[in-house]
Amino acid sequence: MQLQIKGIRKYFGDVKANDGISLTLQPGKIYGLLGENGAGKSTLMKVLSGYHKPDSGEITLGKEGVRFDSPAEALASGIGMIYQDPLDVPSMRILDNYLLGRDRKVLLDRAEALQELRQTARRVGFEVDPQAFIDTLTLGERQQLELLRLLAMGAEVLILDEPTTGISGEQKEELFDSIRKLATVEGKTVILVSHKLAEVQELCHHVFVLRKGKLVGEAEIPCLTEDLVRLMFEDVPPRTARVPHVRQEKALELQEVGIDGERLQVSGLSFDVQSGEVFGLAGLEGSGQRLLLQACAGLIHPSQGRIFLNGRDVTRFHFHRMRSQGVAYLPAGRLEEGLVAGLSLTEHIALATMDREFLIDWKRYVEETQRRIDRYQIVGQPETLVDELSGGNQQRALFALLRSPLQLMLLEHPTRGLDVRSADWIWQLLMQRVEDGAAILFMSADLDELIERSDRIAAFSGGRMSRIVQAQETTAEELGYLIGGER
Amino acid sequence: MKFKKMWVVLASLAALSLLITACGAGPVELDEPFVFGVILVGPKNDRGWSQAHYEGGLYVEQNLPGAEMIVFESLNPADKPEATLEGVVDDMVAEGAKLIFTTSDEFEEDTVGAAEKYPEVVFISISGDDAWAEGQDAGEAPSNEGNIMGRMPDMKAIAGCAAALTTQTGKISYLGPLINFETRRLAASAYLGARYCYQEYRGLDPDDLEFTVTWIGFWFNIPGVTLDPTEVVTGFLDGGTDVVLSGIDTTEAIVVSGQRADLGEQVWAIPYDFEGACDEKPEICLGVPYFNWGPSYLDTVEAIATGTWEQSWDWNAPNWDDLTDNDVTHVGWVDGPALTTELKADLDTFIAGLADGDINPWTGPLNLQDGTAYLADGEIATDFQIWYLPQLLEGMTGPSE
Amino acid sequence: MKRASLLQRGWVIVPILVALVITALLLLAFKVSPVEGFGAMIRGAFGDMSKTLSVTAFWVPMTLAAVGLVVSFTAGLWNIGVEGQIVMGAIAASWLALKLDVPRGLLIPLEMLAAMAAGAIWAGIVAVLKTRGKVHEIFGGLAFNNLAIIFTNYLISGPWQPPEGGTFRGTSPFPDKALLPLLGDSRLSPISVVMVIVAVVGVFLILRGTAWGLKLKALGKNPDSAFLLGVSSERETILALMLCGALAGLGGAVRVTSWFDSLRQSISGGIGYLALLVVMLSAFRVAIVPFVSFFFSAVLNGSITLQLRTQLHSALGGILTGVMVLLVLLFGDIRTLRILPGQRRKKAVPDE
Repeated sequence: MQLQIKGIRKYFGDVKANDGISLTLQPGKIYGLLGENGAGKSTLMKVLSGYHKPDSGEITLGKEGVRFDSPAEALASGIGMIYQDPLDVPSMRILDNYLLGRDRKVLLDRAEALQELRQTARRVGFEVDPQAFIDTLTLGERQQLELLRLLAMGAEVLILDEPTTGISGEQKEELFDSIRKLATVEGKTVILVSHKLAEVQELCHHVFVLRKGKLVGEAEIPCLTEDLVRLMFEDVPPRTARVPHVRQEKALELQEVGIDGERLQVSGLSFDVQSGEVFGLAGLEGSGQRLLLQACAGLIHPSQGRIFLNGRDVTRFHFHRMRSQGVAYLPAGRLEEGLVAGLSLTEHIALATMDREFLIDWKRYVEETQRRIDRYQIVGQPETLVDELSGGNQQRALFALLRSPLQLMLLEHPTRGLDVRSADWIWQLLMQRVEDGAAILFMSADLDELIERSDRIAAFSGGRMSRIVQAQETTAEELGYLIGGER
Repeated sequence: MKFKKMWVVLASLAALSLLITACGAGPVELDEPFVFGVILVGPKNDRGWSQAHYEGGLYVEQNLPGAEMIVFESLNPADKPEATLEGVVDDMVAEGAKLIFTTSDEFEEDTVGAAEKYPEVVFISISGDDAWAEGQDAGEAPSNEGNIMGRMPDMKAIAGCAAALTTQTGKISYLGPLINFETRRLAASAYLGARYCYQEYRGLDPDDLEFTVTWIGFWFNIPGVTLDPTEVVTGFLDGGTDVVLSGIDTTEAIVVSGQRADLGEQVWAIPYDFEGACDEKPEICLGVPYFNWGPSYLDTVEAIATGTWEQSWDWNAPNWDDLTDNDVTHVGWVDGPALTTELKADLDTFIAGLADGDINPWTGPLNLQDGTAYLADGEIATDFQIWYLPQLLEGMTGPSE
Repeated sequence: MKRASLLQRGWVIVPILVALVITALLLLAFKVSPVEGFGAMIRGAFGDMSKTLSVTAFWVPMTLAAVGLVVSFTAGLWNIGVEGQIVMGAIAASWLALKLDVPRGLLIPLEMLAAMAAGAIWAGIVAVLKTRGKVHEIFGGLAFNNLAIIFTNYLISGPWQPPEGGTFRGTSPFPDKALLPLLGDSRLSPISVVMVIVAVVGVFLILRGTAWGLKLKALGKNPDSAFLLGVSSERETILALMLCGALAGLGGAVRVTSWFDSLRQSISGGIGYLALLVVMLSAFRVAIVPFVSFFFSAVLNGSITLQLRTQLHSALGGILTGVMVLLVLLFGDIRTLRILPGQRRKKAVPDE
């Protein structure tokens, strides 16, 4: 079924998220949708999947014009979307989640559904345990499950929003294989929203590029990557050169640290991070690197061993005390764990920087916020609510909240979901901190980022830390082995 | 003596009124509609105290064309925290009420204030004693406030008698609410009735009769505060009691006894307050004492409509000729299905004795529970002595305060 | 932006109008003319001075509790226990009123302070049960409401029983010096109105201008993020509930020392639950609370007259306000109501 989008407009206040976009998509093909953060990719896909209503424009499916009031209606017409964070219910079993939203019958036929789930999974090439609980799954597995659910409900057009962020390389391969199969064998239309040029080159047949809410170009794959970058950014962003700032003092030292997580035990962690050093942590989701960051932040306490910050034993310090010692922790979920939806930028700055004051001097904080907005190039006003910011600007806001000076920064996926230019800019900010003597301990799923940004790297696998390698001397291949469990 | 005389007078009055009605002389006719208010502490369909008052008001409407009742139910701070007695009275007066019944001892104090505020409206504070010239609070009520109460102790004496006639174990228990003058008076009356019948009709030594009162602490069960009436009744029965008299608003006495009867035990119960209360478990119900407000309400309305009302404190006696004739009696007794024919004969003898004054259970010698003399030999208790009974009586088991 | 804020402001009115229409239909269904019905309600609330004073007197404790609830709601807490906190405040004030023999000028402030302390402690227990015992404040609050009512019943039927014996009613009347000075024959004390004004302005300023207010706001909207931004969720949770409890307790004291003159069996009778509805209908904005609360008080008082006038059940007033709140919850700005129970809260690791 041919899918046509004509003149879609969607404004949020003064922001023209989609400013008259028209596309035509054929069945059996995989399309890439490229653009930097805030280009309007997500909005367009949310319009297409019924999540947003467009201000104007129309969508034609086959020969019929369609209009969706909800994602359920879009899905009934055959358009399904997989979000970055799959919308499932964490404490339910896979099978129940799969049945969810299929309310045609009052009584659920579990046996039949089980059969169907297994069949669909086999068809696409996934392996699932229908009785497992959702919250035991990795992000990648949850994505697979969501895909199966959409297929079972008759989706003909599949939209995947940044599907490879946060999943393992192996899962990525599985996902890409099944997508190819779905397009070429079953004739589905697939739209891959991404800013990762390599993935688009690898998977897609055709690519559209958006910039500032408009379609600025399209190309048949393969094509020159530089051409795509030029379309996305107008000019090619320069890579900043990496200058080491490692100093002699130990900022962080771990001695035989063990941590009991809910589903994972980490043990035998002994290493140190120098002031001014960037230490990267590789590994699949849930391998223990996040527990390490949280333990260093005082969010959880190690079950054994000792942690030292600048030579001081901080093993039993809790988070707020660590914070006052110059430790910053940036979680992966921006609106879930970093920012408070519903509060303005000024309120965030006040919260993050206020000392033992009773009354708030709002005027001072508004000025301070404006300074930070300028410095961190956030598109917004001091009174803008953080949930009205785009993803990239939220990330910048998180950095704008950091105090100075900092001894240690603990970062989860600092550039996840950001385009090349934004990511580079974030690292420039981080390197300024490093220059000032802060140590960085960060985890990332992006091996290129790890190699490019770190001084030293270690990988986690099943709660064990690998040997530590020098970033300049290692390769993505070596890291791959380490992630796979080689020590 | 005074007591006996009053009964005679009342009985003849009742007979007279029957006669008048029978002769077809119509009741008072109203020239203009007469609005009266009834303020209830509970819902008008509570199968108990408040419903009895509501039905009293309905009775007036049915028997006096032109009389119109306005009701306000559930006036208590739990159900209506925003409502006050004075506010409701204001509205009732604005609606044209010339007479207002305030039907709970909770309203007694506020009724005085309302009566002072509206001297042209008559207030009847049910169960109160402010208008009793000989009472402890004499003089508190303004001249437009009266009191009405049914003479329930007589009915409780009958209940006690029925219990004494029936008991096989010689153990009777009384499930009491909280302790005050009214509840002490009723429990004591039941005891005296039981004692009399145990001796006179069964020929047994009344000192062998065990009569236990347990106060749960409130008119109904409040978990954690009151004793649980279900457990109290179970305790009664486990201790050998075979007749339980209820003095509380709810039905635990007959319900629990009924369950035990289903298990084959020989036990009986006497509920309280509501004419139909035996329906819970007819086969073990010996009867039920109840209030009937219709006649006194009607009298009051007629007296005011004809301009003959005067302040009084009325403790209205039953219609002894027929304790179930709700056109005339102020309190009633219905025989329960469990009362056998022979026992019924004895009970009727007792009732007849009460009616003509031959029997008065409140006759000395009687001592209070702590042994102090209450009535000398042959002395008959005055209304004052009965109303303000300071303790339970000697021979009763259970706390007085 | 303009349009949105206008809508936001207007949405309080819409449910009220719809609820009035629904009530009118209900009245029609019972063959009562809505004009007559609403007329009776208005007369019942404002027909004469004494009615208006009565509406105001009932408004005082409800508003105090509601203003307190704005604080706890801001912190994302469902303080159902507000009812019990009112009762405990009433008990504490009654205790001093019955037992303490000091001059009036000292006794009344002491009663108020004791009531605030008792309400705060009652709320504080629920708060600690939540932060340390993982007992959700809704369940803790409900349990403590029951305990407070049971405690009242114990006191009035036990140790504080009037000398003439236990009744339904309550304790003996307090001495005059323990009662708030009243306006004429009404149950309204001008002092209590001052308390409401101070509470409203105080809470408004706390939420608007203090660091603590901002922390509560962050905590209420996202406890996890707030924690990472340096907010101590345990401390602020306890303090927010205690402030609410103190204001509710003060409401209880007003209830016993001006509406009544003694401790009664049902001293609150659900004023706390009404206050919860008031706050929801006010969209958790403290500046609107006094007005919505006044409206509730007028509707409830007017329903008394409505019942007498029409002989319909006076629950009609309750239906009217209930429908309004329901409509707000259904069609109101869901975002402001997103502080629903069940939000995850990060484990606070105690320092050792």
